[in-house]
Amino acid sequence: MRFVLGMAVRETRASWQRLIFFFVCIAVGVAAIVALRSVIRSVRDVLGGEARSLIAADALISTTRDWTPEARSTIDRRLAAAGATARTETIETPTMVRPADSSKVAARMVELKAIQPGFPLYGSLTLEGGQPYSHALLEHHGALVRPELLSALGVNVGDSIAIGTTNFVIRGVVANEPGRNLGAFSLGPRVFVDFDDMPSTTLLVFGSRARRVVLARVPDDSLDDMVTALNQDFSDDYVNARSYRATDDAIGRDFDRSENYLSLVGLVIVILGGIAVSSVTRVFVLQKIRAIAVLKCLGASSRQIIAVYVLQVVALGLAGSLLGVGIARLALAGIPLALGPTSTSLLAQVHYTVDWRIALQGITIGVLVSLLFSLVPLLEVRRVKPSLLLRDETRRPGRDAARIAAMVFVSAALIAVAAWQAASLRAGLVVCVGFAALAFVLLLAGRLLVRMVAPMANAPSFPLRHAVLHLSRPGNQTRVILLAVGLGAFFIVGVRSLQSSLLDEFNLQISADSADMFLLDIQRNQVEGMRQFLGDSASGAGPFRLIPVLRARITGVSGRVTTLDSFEDVRARGSLAREFTLTYRDHLEANERVIDGKFWNGPSSEPEVSVEKGLHERFAINIGDVVRFDILGRTINARVTSIRDVDFKDARAGGFIFVFRPGVLEQAPQTYIAPLKGPDAASDRAIFQHKLVAKFPNVSVIDFHEILATVRDVMSKVTLAITVVGGLVLFSGALILIGAVAMTKFQRVYEAAVFKTLGANTRTIAKMLLLEYGVLGLLAGAVGSAGAVALTWGVSRYALDIPWKVFPVEHLAGVGLTTALVAAIGVLSSLDVLRNKPLATLRAE
Amino acid sequence: MISLREVSKTVISGAEPLTILHPLSLDIERGQFIAIVGPSGSGKSTLLGLIAGLDAPTSGDVLIDGVDITRLGEDALAKLRGEKIGFVFQFFHLIPSLTAFENVAVPMEIAGARDARQRAQRLLEEVGLTGRAHHYPSQLSGGEQQRVALARALANNPPILLADEPTGNLDSANGRHIMELFRDIHRSRGTTIVLVTHDADLAALADSRLILRDGRVVERT
Repeated sequence: MRFVLGMAVRETRASWQRLIFFFVCIAVGVAAIVALRSVIRSVRDVLGGEARSLIAADALISTTRDWTPEARSTIDRRLAAAGATARTETIETPTMVRPADSSKVAARMVELKAIQPGFPLYGSLTLEGGQPYSHALLEHHGALVRPELLSALGVNVGDSIAIGTTNFVIRGVVANEPGRNLGAFSLGPRVFVDFDDMPSTTLLVFGSRARRVVLARVPDDSLDDMVTALNQDFSDDYVNARSYRATDDAIGRDFDRSENYLSLVGLVIVILGGIAVSSVTRVFVLQKIRAIAVLKCLGASSRQIIAVYVLQVVALGLAGSLLGVGIARLALAGIPLALGPTSTSLLAQVHYTVDWRIALQGITIGVLVSLLFSLVPLLEVRRVKPSLLLRDETRRPGRDAARIAAMVFVSAALIAVAAWQAASLRAGLVVCVGFAALAFVLLLAGRLLVRMVAPMANAPSFPLRHAVLHLSRPGNQTRVILLAVGLGAFFIVGVRSLQSSLLDEFNLQISADSADMFLLDIQRNQVEGMRQFLGDSASGAGPFRLIPVLRARITGVSGRVTTLDSFEDVRARGSLAREFTLTYRDHLEANERVIDGKFWNGPSSEPEVSVEKGLHERFAINIGDVVRFDILGRTINARVTSIRDVDFKDARAGGFIFVFRPGVLEQAPQTYIAPLKGPDAASDRAIFQHKLVAKFPNVSVIDFHEILATVRDVMSKVTLAITVVGGLVLFSGALILIGAVAMTKFQRVYEAAVFKTLGANTRTIAKMLLLEYGVLGLLAGAVGSAGAVALTWGVSRYALDIPWKVFPVEHLAGVGLTTALVAAIGVLSSLDVLRNKPLATLRAE
Repeated sequence: MISLREVSKTVISGAEPLTILHPLSLDIERGQFIAIVGPSGSGKSTLLGLIAGLDAPTSGDVLIDGVDITRLGEDALAKLRGEKIGFVFQFFHLIPSLTAFENVAVPMEIAGARDARQRAQRLLEEVGLTGRAHHYPSQLSGGEQQRVALARALANNPPILLADEPTGNLDSANGRHIMELFRDIHRSRGTTIVLVTHDADLAALADSRLILRDGRVVERT
């Protein structure tokens, strides 16, 4: 044992500088795991501590309709029975807001929330500038708004804004509110008004998308029973009840999922480090063969020698992992600095720390991966014969059962580690198999490319010839560099190309003269006025259409395959129970085509409906089936007479799941929507929206250009996040490259000395190095870029369903930058090869 | 005592078998100093490697103190070498990542000796390298490296010392110094020494000589 310990210390002392880069790779991966897990854990601690304040109550009962007296009395009865100690109500609706000052031409969609004095029952509403919140701020047409609305409308605290038909004075700026989901998608900034002022806005007209909510404080022991009872009471109504616990569970699940998946990202980097460790161990053993033979000659057994190197790997893996934890701590300390001292984001309230359990987990993974990846190459120690000290012998490769067994063990262990990290065996398997497949493809592509450039070994240029020969010399690191750098290039180029592809697709959709604005909630009595307004060329609007829409729910299906007798049965089918928006018309739109049955060509008093293909396939609703709809309390049994294939990518003409035959719904209560081509210039669009909202205060405008801006923003954040991962992979690749150069430097120094002796000057050798690493970088870039092309093809075709495009600029830039990066790193880390004097080197040999 | 019974060694060179050592039998008594002499390629080093258990014979048995080492596994052979055999190579074969002192201490540490450090120090004194103990092999001259190798070979006080052309890579002064050390060791410790050389002057220092040519014994003196 003493020998093993002593030797491990001495060997580490002698070779740590050459091995350090590989263990820095482990450090980067461990840092990623520890930092990502810690961030999520820290955020979760804050949110978990405020589970109730996330919904601002113990129980939340909501509906998208007006409260009926029956519903109110049921709620009152249940709350009283459960011993509720407090209750308050809110109404939420998306709507348009504009400055009351008509000289300011702007309008913006917001998420309006009307609240009573009791709000919130848990948590607190905080205002900017330390202003305390009191409901009195809202009374008599006061409003509290998010800061982004001030800049969007060009207004300040004290100014008035028009909401619906009423003006409100901005009395404060909201910094934080309970009940706002972290990162949830919103249609616009939040505006708070008094519950009692809501009727004066006249926004709560028929068909508005208002959500009415009753919030209650209920003792914990009766909470679940009350929520269950309410959901049973309202099983046939548009009312839903839930407790904070459901939110807590949902958030918990979301956090678990993100934590586990993000740590898989870290694990991929650790595994990359592991591959580097495996490669370096292989070269290390190769370089140590003579020393191993000497040790055997002096009486050491294979087991003792393997133990020496295993101990060394564990020590370096441990050092790398500890370094990783240190890096994670630094990164976490940097988050508040990055958010800035004035940030009002929920993320700024989080106290970011590295939990010791997470650190321990990271260290375990770092050491484990180092150990697993070094195991197979270390087994080579057994095959070193001491007789090679007397006679040079080439070892004959043979079948080695222990080696195969070790490989099986290592693979199983890696799957176990990945499954542990993802908290799912399936995810662990998918990651390992996916990574192995990707690595295999990259290696195969790399080998193919190396073979393709092999003829250049006969090139007339001496440096080029030798650069190509070096790619396949014994003990070369070509494969591992191609894998590591190629993987980084693959991530970055792939994600950039996908981003370009998606943005291109969105741009296409709002190009030329297609509709780029949607008007919602147009009342029936506003149709004529709207037609005139939009038809007037002074409004700036292009071609438009007014489409009648009704909201409905399926309450039963009687068909050949599917029979659902009650709404309970429908609810059991998940999304079939949701509320659908439907229309009626006598023609197909350009984005539709009938794939089964026959589309009508005139009105009929018999209810007939055309069903979208996806729904038909998912729920087996076929031609001839009768679907029972509840349209605002009226039951309509409609026969399915056709199935339509709808191209939702071009859904501006309406992407409706259900289309009714005219003749039945004309008299039912309905609103209209209007797709239209808005003015081109941004300022004209603002004027148009301002005028429209001034004339039709209840009508909401969805501007595709604004949505595109949001999409662009979200996408650039996602792209940035994935680019950071790709960057980390590339960084690991660069470290592996530096390490590989350091590992094989002795060989290069000797070769350079021989070349110099034979008449090569420093410039020729520098050129040789530059070409060698340039070719390696070119191959890695090409492998990564080719992988990225395959990735964009797969994702475009199967996940996003958009036409596949190749973006040559991204790909060429990827290849060019990778080549430059690898060439620069390769040459810079080999500077002493150029500087060394040949005689000293040759003497040392 | 070392006994070789009809030991031979054949290797595959290209596609053809090549006999490096034809069957030979040999007994070396305890405390004997024997020189194996012959030109390059005569099979001297192969014979030495077979005695040390560094290589396995194609046929025949090698007995060390009555134990047939051809029947031992790799680890048992390593243990035997650690306890009974010291080896000195022409090219020193010091471990480049260890200092002179550490190189000498290694065999004792492998054997689990408690006083490895003190003994390593003493051995370095014996070979006259106290001042160079903490230098790495690359910082030592050829003669110094070979003296470290000799100290290392004596580390576990082995009854047998095998040396393969120990002066072959040294100048004459250093070569003489090394040979004097061998003679002293033989006299003071009674160690059995098997020395491979093609230098007749050095061979003359031994009690007896075995002359090999083309893998066969051509003369015993």
